[in-house]
Amino acid sequence: MMIGFYGIIAKDNLIKKIIGLNIFQTAIFLFFISLGAVKGGTAPIVDEKVIQKGYVYANPLPHVLILTAIVVSVATTAVALSLVIRMHREYGTIEESEILKKSRDEGMTRT
Amino acid sequence: MKRLRAIAFILIFLLSGLFIYVAEDIPPLGDPMAPPIKSVKLFSMKMEQIVPLLNQGRIPRELSKELVKRGLPLPSHIEKIPGVKGEWDAFITKEEPHYAKEEKYYWIKQKGGEVEVSRYAFVVRWIEKGLKETAVPNMVTYGLADYRGYDTLGETTVIFTAGVSVILLLRRRSRL
Amino acid sequence: MKEGGQERNIIVETVARVMIPFIQLFALYVIIHGAGGPGGGFQGGVVFASALILMVITFNLAGGRKRFPESINTLLSSLGIYIYGGIGLLALFFSLGAAQYLNYGFIPFTTLFEENRALAMDFVEIGIGVTVMAIITSIFFDLAQKERSGKKEEEGSSSWNGSLQKSLQNTTTGSSSSS
Repeated sequence: MMIGFYGIIAKDNLIKKIIGLNIFQTAIFLFFISLGAVKGGTAPIVDEKVIQKGYVYANPLPHVLILTAIVVSVATTAVALSLVIRMHREYGTIEESEILKKSRDEGMTRT
Repeated sequence: MKRLRAIAFILIFLLSGLFIYVAEDIPPLGDPMAPPIKSVKLFSMKMEQIVPLLNQGRIPRELSKELVKRGLPLPSHIEKIPGVKGEWDAFITKEEPHYAKEEKYYWIKQKGGEVEVSRYAFVVRWIEKGLKETAVPNMVTYGLADYRGYDTLGETTVIFTAGVSVILLLRRRSRL
Repeated sequence: MKEGGQERNIIVETVARVMIPFIQLFALYVIIHGAGGPGGGFQGGVVFASALILMVITFNLAGGRKRFPESINTLLSSLGIYIYGGIGLLALFFSLGAAQYLNYGFIPFTTLFEENRALAMDFVEIGIGVTVMAIITSIFFDLAQKERSGKKEEEGSSSWNGSLQKSLQNTTTGSSSSS
């Protein structure tokens, strides 16, 4: 989790920031699913033979919520990458400090 | 850049410490002897004398008074959990057509000199009655597509919107 | 690049030619066996799209575009949501007294209330898989297009895209003349 956070803050290249965001999201998913673990539990698929032996099932609710969150992460990464492509077309570079320097020099003359 | 990196390192150090401090108290990460997560504890009362009444299957009056005082629904009947010595289930009835009529609501335990009443999490309904209400064995699938089907409709709209926005941002005029 | 590494291309091409139909078949298995084991709509859709991405990586982009033209892509991506909402509307239509949207038990596929839910869930999962596959394919093709020079698209002037191109060229010429 902290690797992704470090990548978002302290890296210059825009694509490295996006990768850091993705790593951050994956770590959060793993943490959230590990909260739903039950000691000695099996996978949440109902089976008659399993009930007779007396096994316990893991909590299926975090799995359902995280499935939605994974799709949101994919959508966010896709839109962020397309925005980086647009920025490259406008400024010609992907480094964040050079983009800031260029936008400060030329001012707000575009819109 | 050096100042930003130093600030980043210090922030990450502090946040890691906070995260470890928070994650130690949560059961399966920290405590190896925690019970399975299936109930939320409501209250506990010092009523040793209602235990023989619970064994016969009748609802004692003090329990009803305590529940009404806290604003909770009243149970319809109480059953003993087979195989365990000091625990009971309390059921309430719900008026929903085509669904199972009675639902497990309270979990009454005897612990030391007190009787503890806690409420079942609603996930218990998925585990116990899911195969009977929907003929699908996989809990995650019928949790996504049947009990929480409205959220999945919104989710499909989210990914559709992502595709549309990438088209809007990246395609030029001559190809639209 | 066809200049260097011709032998490496042959190995990858042969393996891809053998594996792509099996990957697509496995994706269909994952979608439909979502009821009996691990799987479901989202997972199967992504596996299906990955087969197409493998084809584009080993062969060229234009060949992939010929197999998946844009019209079919846009049609498929909205077809999945139509299926999902359509089954919900069917349930609304068939539940006459208590009108409930997305309660699949009222659609009369079979006579039991519980079997209807299982069958409608399969249709819903197929719909989700189709949408996810089409959208991920469309995103991949858009992100992998090679950028053309900005002189061709100057004719279309009434869109915001055309005006942005014009203002970009104006400011670049202005800044180059001032600096």
